[in-house]
Amino acid sequence: MFNLITTRKFTKFYFTNPRWWVFSRVMAAIFAGYALATTSSLFLGQLLLQSMGEYQAFHIGLLLSFLIYSCGAMWVFSVSTAKKAWGGLISLNLIFMALTWLLMQVNS
Amino acid sequence: MKGSFRQSMKWLHTWVGLVVGWILVFMFITGTAGYFDDEITRWMEPERPLTATHIDKSKLLDISQHYLETHVKNAKEWRVILPNSRDANLKVMWQEQPEEGKRFGKFSTKVLDTDTDTGLAIDNLRETAGGRTLYRMHYRLHYMPSIVAYWIVGFCTMLMLIAVITGVIFHKKIFSDFFTFRAKKGLIGWLDIHNVLSVTAIPFHFMITYSGLIFFLITYMILSVNIGITETQKDKYFNEVFPRTVEVEKSDDYQPLASLSDMYAKSHKYWQEDTLAYVKVEYPLDKNARVKFTRWNTDLTYNPDDELFFSGETGKLLNIAAKQVTMSGQIHRGFISLHEGLFASPMVRWLYLIIGLMGTGMIASGLILWTTKRKPKQMKNTNGPDFGYRLVEQLNIGTIVGFPIAVAMYFWANRLLPVEMENRAEWEIHCLFISWALLLIYPAFRSGLVAWFEQLKIAAFVFCFIPVLNFITTDKHLGISLPLRDWNYAGFDLVMLVIGVAFAFTAYKVKKHIPVAQKSHAKLTKNDIENKVTDETISTLAATKETS
Repeated sequence: MFNLITTRKFTKFYFTNPRWWVFSRVMAAIFAGYALATTSSLFLGQLLLQSMGEYQAFHIGLLLSFLIYSCGAMWVFSVSTAKKAWGGLISLNLIFMALTWLLMQVNS
Repeated sequence: MKGSFRQSMKWLHTWVGLVVGWILVFMFITGTAGYFDDEITRWMEPERPLTATHIDKSKLLDISQHYLETHVKNAKEWRVILPNSRDANLKVMWQEQPEEGKRFGKFSTKVLDTDTDTGLAIDNLRETAGGRTLYRMHYRLHYMPSIVAYWIVGFCTMLMLIAVITGVIFHKKIFSDFFTFRAKKGLIGWLDIHNVLSVTAIPFHFMITYSGLIFFLITYMILSVNIGITETQKDKYFNEVFPRTVEVEKSDDYQPLASLSDMYAKSHKYWQEDTLAYVKVEYPLDKNARVKFTRWNTDLTYNPDDELFFSGETGKLLNIAAKQVTMSGQIHRGFISLHEGLFASPMVRWLYLIIGLMGTGMIASGLILWTTKRKPKQMKNTNGPDFGYRLVEQLNIGTIVGFPIAVAMYFWANRLLPVEMENRAEWEIHCLFISWALLLIYPAFRSGLVAWFEQLKIAAFVFCFIPVLNFITTDKHLGISLPLRDWNYAGFDLVMLVIGVAFAFTAYKVKKHIPVAQKSHAKLTKNDIENKVTDETISTLAATKETS
């Protein structure tokens, strides 16, 4: 019983501290943002494949990835909650992955 | 996150800037110095003869060829770098045959003495890390494996890119601020300085940050590369993005090299102007040897006409197919050229230096702004400013003024360390980092403004003293280099002097702001004041007693 109360106090103290949410956002920006840069570059590589040729399309995807990374990171810090930030980036990643897969079917 | 979108961006701008600000100051200073790396190396090797630009290029080619043929027999590649506006000496470089399984062999460089026809290398050059190592710290840091350094640098650059973009976003009146510079003290003054330095050079700041990331495109986006293309496709991809000229096959049959000066005469037919920059010989003294003449870039990316190929055996002009460049490859090359500024004429190079210093100033003023904004509130704290504030202030002083001093100590070490010392080049670098470490710690024992003032004084002294040091330790001081108009050598001394004077001026400005109480280095604490009061009361009491 006593244990339960202290644990609750513990979780309440640490996880309601706004710093944790900032930390969570930083993690989202760094890792989910990097994932976004990767998936978006692969998507662009497939999207431009027909018009630019395989390697150029891929290269353009890589060149633009840093800008997409910055936009993703900025977006993480502009939404109202950290949960939204994670949710948004993860779903965007999934969308890019799905689109890349679709385009790969079309291109091959 | 903080109310409106603009407010969130402002918050983000502040914190990404603060987190990596000090490393960025380090990168900007070393990078800016890198635009003059050849000139710095030349100053750090004072044993070199003064200048060789007055000698005809075909004679210089003869001298170099003679030297290389006699001294460097089994090399993969020779290079002759002709005297130019950045480096007035004749230099030869060569690459030894690579070891099993390696792509490149060991590189060596020699400066040639042009006074004798046989071309002797100047062998008594002191061992120095030179301008090149200073420049290499810009992207490779030091004391760590290169891959770790690349990722640290990449992280900082990425945050700087975010800082640049957010800065533009939350800035409401980007154009009106361009014209409003209020020379005020305190917060508004620093804000205006930060704005002017950022806004005036914003295209440069964006270009330099973005292109910095592009340098290590494959390293940073390794996940994409591993998923996107297979191992076998990688070679094709690299060849398409960074095409190379058809390579030479080594034949292993000995064949003396045709005269380089004859080829030089032939090159005049194709290049009206005499702009030959360097000559490269692939597989010299081989039957299949190929000679490449390269002139100063006439294009930001790639102009096939900048290169002429000759057969090493016959000396005849070869018709080598131009490299096939792609659009994305051109964009890539363009950004990298802009970043490196190798195409820059002397004027443009000076512009690079000035904008580089503006970038340094932008980051430095941003860091100072962080403390200036929080100062009034921090000073009201009963226990004095808190730890975070003091840490930022200390790092600011130790980096913004401390790091330039450390660079000056690097130049001092070059002149003062014994010439025969072992690992001399490495010790020059140790001197730089030891001084920086000391200057980072020093402000902990001083109150803010006093530490600023004292370090600025040190900076003014160490920079102004460099020409004097050069005068004492070498025979090529300003009194000799100026009349001979060796601008690269004299220019270094003069620039150091200018930097020293600038620091002295800043120190003078800062001195005015130091309260009188702190000037005598006696910090008045609450206790002191109380003691003083009691002393006074006692003496007045005693005085009243006496009179009564």
